[in-house]
Amino acid sequence: MIYRENGQFKTSYAADQQIFPIRQDRIAILALLIFAGVGVPLFADEYLFRAILIPFLILSLAALGVNLLVGYCGQITLGAGAFMAVGAYAAYNFLIRVDGMPMLIAVLLGGVVAALVGIVFGVPSLRVRGLYLAVATLAAQFFWDWAFLRIRWFTNYSSSGSVSVAELDFFGWRIETPVEKYLLCLGLLILFALVAKNLTRGAIGRQWMAIRDMDVAAEVIGIRPMYAKLSAFAVSSFYLGVAGALWGFVHLGSWEPAAFSIDRSFQLLFMVIIGGLGSIMGSFFGAAFIVVLPIFLNQFLPWLGGLVGVTISTAAVSHAEFMIFGALIIFFLIVEPHGLARLWSTGKEKLRLWPFPH
Amino acid sequence: MGRQIGEVILDLKNISLSFGGVKALSDISFDVREHEIRAIIGPNGAGKSSMLNVINGVYRPQQGEIVLRGEHFANMTPARAARAGIARTFQNLALFKGMTVLDNIMAGRNLQMRANLFQQAIWFGPARREELAHRAKVEEIIDFLEIQHIRKVPVGRLPYGLQKRVDLGRALAMEPQILLLDEPMAGMNVEEKQDMCRFILDINDQFGTTIVLIEHDMGVVMDISDRVVVLDYGRKIGDGAPDEVRANPDVIRAYLGTSN
Ligand SMILES: Nc1ncnc2c1ncn2[C@@H]1O[C@H](COP(=O)(O)OP(=O)(O)OP(=O)(O)O)[C@@H](O)[C@H]1O
Ligand SMILES: [Mg+2]
Repeated sequence: MIYRENGQFKTSYAADQQIFPIRQDRIAILALLIFAGVGVPLFADEYLFRAILIPFLILSLAALGVNLLVGYCGQITLGAGAFMAVGAYAAYNFLIRVDGMPMLIAVLLGGVVAALVGIVFGVPSLRVRGLYLAVATLAAQFFWDWAFLRIRWFTNYSSSGSVSVAELDFFGWRIETPVEKYLLCLGLLILFALVAKNLTRGAIGRQWMAIRDMDVAAEVIGIRPMYAKLSAFAVSSFYLGVAGALWGFVHLGSWEPAAFSIDRSFQLLFMVIIGGLGSIMGSFFGAAFIVVLPIFLNQFLPWLGGLVGVTISTAAVSHAEFMIFGALIIFFLIVEPHGLARLWSTGKEKLRLWPFPH
Repeated sequence: MGRQIGEVILDLKNISLSFGGVKALSDISFDVREHEIRAIIGPNGAGKSSMLNVINGVYRPQQGEIVLRGEHFANMTPARAARAGIARTFQNLALFKGMTVLDNIMAGRNLQMRANLFQQAIWFGPARREELAHRAKVEEIIDFLEIQHIRKVPVGRLPYGLQKRVDLGRALAMEPQILLLDEPMAGMNVEEKQDMCRFILDINDQFGTTIVLIEHDMGVVMDISDRVVVLDYGRKIGDGAPDEVRANPDVIRAYLGTSN
């Protein structure tokens, strides 16, 4: 099939405002969703689910949240991990302290609490930007790291400091197998990605981007910076909170505050930079890249070393990982700030014109 | 022309503005009548842009007051000005560079859009209806400015002349009663200037929009404006019909003094 939009004339603005205006894209996405929902569960093994697919889905959700704030609204954050932690611990407390609290509702409430906390920690963005804002969000990270370590109520006075969720109950359906966990995360991710798309293609998305691109002009056309920025913090933190709760409940099962440390915040920021700032799809690319790269390097580098007769230790592999990330971040920041998503769309553009160069 | 110049809609009284030691505006007073094209001219650094920034609340004057339709303000805020129907374009383009032409102009409809965050998240229903209604309105502006072919292009990639048009489009999307234009033709070639002149006259004529225009091209100013204010070093040195202003010795001196 040739990738073309020729002949697909749009007869209404409604048709033009669809998420995927080109028919081939709609077919491809549908096929991908069917594959993800039906095909993958048929062949994937437990390792694939646990080590790759579930982390990928949850981190994609978190990356979406970061991208809404950083990529769309232009407000830098180094506290993404903290908002995941707030979501996870809030959900945990709802689950254990409220009788008969359904798991999914606890997860969503975790997101709501994270959103409220996000609004509070977003207040500095009304006065400062750039580096100063980064430092302010870093303070959020340190504060919550400290709070979950030291304030014992949050961890229900567990002696080890770690908390766990014994069983996952989805409105009467016990979620136990990796496939079930995968499907739960997949369903939520699709839903949230759709919401993110709706927000970014509508009025609030334009407000966020306007603030990002030229805040004085935004004010002059009547955009309220406070509403735009704080709503971005709220929505972003909501996504992060839900992702954090899923990370704790579904992926880890039991966790300590270190699960949501500053490393996680940086990792999420790297994801959206590599994947593509201001792109929904970029969030998925970034998450996939960061989940898969270490696994790939773990296999590939020792093999490569074997070829030339050098043994490469695990430590060396993880050093290589850092160096490659660092190099890539610099590459994308300088050469292609729109990340993998832009490379992808450039490729598609070429395909659309192929085989004619112009 | 079918328009009829009305009462004073905007009255600026004794406005003074300084930045540290620099006096950008000293004791400036002038008024703007409904439906007229009011030009502000003057040499570089005279305080013209500062004047527009005072009118729509980007700068706060230290002294003076702004009377808008009989309401007195010690200073404006951008939000209040926007709600009162004042729109503007910028001397040094202030477009949303990462957004498409369509989105830039749609952003200008922001104040008229009502759907809340949850309705927008769901999209189907009120948010979509509203989006489509405003899209139709924005398409009218796109047709008017003859920029149909670039509606999906990110504005950062457009040549300067087209960006100026998009800037105007975004301001028009607010359906303003008063439109402030800061050098809309600067850096344009003759043909682009003619187009821009035509747009300005059409806006004024068709929608009755009151226009405050800063422009360096004297030919243009003399042709299209009803009344002209002349500033020099933050002071007002002339005010009146184009012919009067042109004959004013202070104005001639100010212009000869700087251009030679
Ligand atoms: N934000 C600001 N901070 C400090 N000084 C400013 C600021 N804005 C304007 N000025 C000063 O105020 C004076 C008037 O500037 P303004 O931009 O209003 O002039 P202008 O008449 O628009 O000139 P031009 O024709 O070059 O656009 C200048 O001396 C300028 O340096
Ligand atoms: Mg100026």
